Amino acid sequence: MSLRSGVATFAGRSSYWFLHTFLHGGSSLPGKITLKLDPQILRSLGAKYDVIVITGTNGKTLTTALTVSVLHEKYPSILTNPTGSNMEQGIVTTFLNAKRPKTGRPLAVLEVDEANVIKVTTYIQPKAFVFTNIFRDQMDRYGEIYTTYQKILDGVALAPKATIIANGDSPIFNSKQLPNPIQYYGFDDQPDRDFKAKPNTDGVLCPNCQHILHYHSLTYSNQGKYFCPNCGFERPELTYRLTKLGEQTPTSSQFDVDGHPFTIHVGGTYNIYNALAAYAVGRFLDVTPDQIAHAFTANERVFGRQEVIDVDGKQVTIILVKNPVGLDQVLHMISTDQHPFSFVGLLNANYADGIDTSWIWDGDFEQLAGLNIPTFITGGERYKDITFRLKVAGVPDDKHIVEPDLEKVVERIKTVPTQRVYVLATYTAMLQMRKILASKGYIKEGLGV
Amino acid sequence: MTYDLNVAHLYGDLMNTYGDVGNILALNYYAKQMDVKLHVKIVSLEEDFHAADYDLAFFGGGQDFEQTIVAKDIQTKKVELTKFIESDGPLLAICGGYQLLGHYYIGADGEKLPGIGALDHYTLKQDNHRFIGNIVIKNAETGETYHGFENHQGRTFIGQGERPLGNVISGKGNNGEDGTEGAIYKNVYCSYFHGPILTRNGDIAKHLLVAALKRKFPDEDFSQQEALPIPATF
Repeated sequence: MSLRSGVATFAGRSSYWFLHTFLHGGSSLPGKITLKLDPQILRSLGAKYDVIVITGTNGKTLTTALTVSVLHEKYPSILTNPTGSNMEQGIVTTFLNAKRPKTGRPLAVLEVDEANVIKVTTYIQPKAFVFTNIFRDQMDRYGEIYTTYQKILDGVALAPKATIIANGDSPIFNSKQLPNPIQYYGFDDQPDRDFKAKPNTDGVLCPNCQHILHYHSLTYSNQGKYFCPNCGFERPELTYRLTKLGEQTPTSSQFDVDGHPFTIHVGGTYNIYNALAAYAVGRFLDVTPDQIAHAFTANERVFGRQEVIDVDGKQVTIILVKNPVGLDQVLHMISTDQHPFSFVGLLNANYADGIDTSWIWDGDFEQLAGLNIPTFITGGERYKDITFRLKVAGVPDDKHIVEPDLEKVVERIKTVPTQRVYVLATYTAMLQMRKILASKGYIKEGLGV
Repeated sequence: MTYDLNVAHLYGDLMNTYGDVGNILALNYYAKQMDVKLHVKIVSLEEDFHAADYDLAFFGGGQDFEQTIVAKDIQTKKVELTKFIESDGPLLAICGGYQLLGHYYIGADGEKLPGIGALDHYTLKQDNHRFIGNIVIKNAETGETYHGFENHQGRTFIGQGERPLGNVISGKGNNGEDGTEGAIYKNVYCSYFHGPILTRNGDIAKHLLVAALKRKFPDEDFSQQEALPIPATF
């Protein structure tokens, strides 16, 4: 470590200690201070670690948490960054905060924002990259799926020896020739058919010849066993295969990977992809399938986002929604509930939610009308948009309560005819809702993630 | 339902950003209230568009890459699309769809890509900047106010025979310079509005549906459809 890096590290660590001890904070400021003093600090901080970079638009956080759980089965010391600290400053802080490794090369499993991959690889040669998926997400901030993938590749180009572990069901991850070793994971549990993705799906052009891709099987969005009938472009050979999909409920999923049975205590096909990614990293680093199965069931807290809140006897589940693909997956997940439930949709359009609410029209709310839901409530700062969305989706007025004020939404929830209530909320609406629930004593303050 | 209308969703599997499919959903929602059944068909790459087969058309916006592919393919549909437009066919075109009905647009890489020139506008581009945000406009003839969300790099300049969809009250509009937003030519409505446009501005959905009905059933009376109240949704 150079003198400059040493000074910068000391300054950063001191500020972390100060912030952590006296202000109960300190997620990115120490990184900021350290970076100011030594912009190349990651070179010395990261040199002692084998780094796994996890990136993609959806599922980074859970994939990272699951991967850490899986790797803990074999490796005692793993550094990882806390949720939301996936930009350069947060990553620097994560390293600063780490206890200095005494022996060997510990692992660092880092969730990295797509555009920040290059900020890591400029200084660190990761052992592996994990690509979860690329869906359109708040495009007013980041641009289109091809631009997003290019940002990731700009970073990967600086680490041509790192193994890429990618979602093989996502065509975009097979669209560019890369020098890196590459392994794919995906779903392989269906007999082959021949069909197209549903019309309103992103990313269905063949990267070779620009014809519309067909599918032998498809999980959701544009993910599946794709092929191009025009030029022969097709899904690559999978290294890690989901061989059987078992029972799915809103709180659990059963499936086999490479013939081994697994259970995760969380619903949603998208979470099976997250688990599959964690499995792939685990196998890549010689964790056994039995150990991985143990990690999946022993670490329920990593699925914390789906906690059930007791509101005077109602079982309320608040689920964050932020883009159409995620929304469709959440709608599918709650539809697997065997018990009757009521539906609450809360829409805000602040910066953290995405300031354009158009995306709710890409979500398949139409499926709600067929689910025999007795009561719908819509609210939030943009309640008019979500209210009209449900109207057009076929939700009848006599089952639909419009209530902009979230305090009153909570009161309304207490009066619905079902015990179970699913609240789908955008980010700031979720925070507001949790604050109200905390002020009324139903939950403790904080995010609960 | 009493009336059937055939709707072409132009490149609906490629030009579908920012919830633009919501326009089809909103058309359907209002059509039902007008006693009209819509039969929507996607007309995409290497598929023929016959003007005589359709009573209404929708053409949404797409990602840059998809739009370059569509820009090539749409040349094969140029004659029939122009025929549809010139014979007063009602068409709604948003963002990339709007650009491709004009003479040309400048793609993300700076290359000039031809549209079909059915309408007399052209589109330049801004460097490293987009017009993003809520927008409100007012139509000078009807007095109707329209709400939307714009998100575009293109700067479009409307030409002879085109009227703006509205004059900008707040936001940027076609090009950020001349205070216009969108274009109207015959029964063609063009706009940069997402939101989507028809979900926030049911009046435009009504105009399109009534125009399609009158064109297809010239001897029928549609005064009831024209009187359909459109409650504010935004």
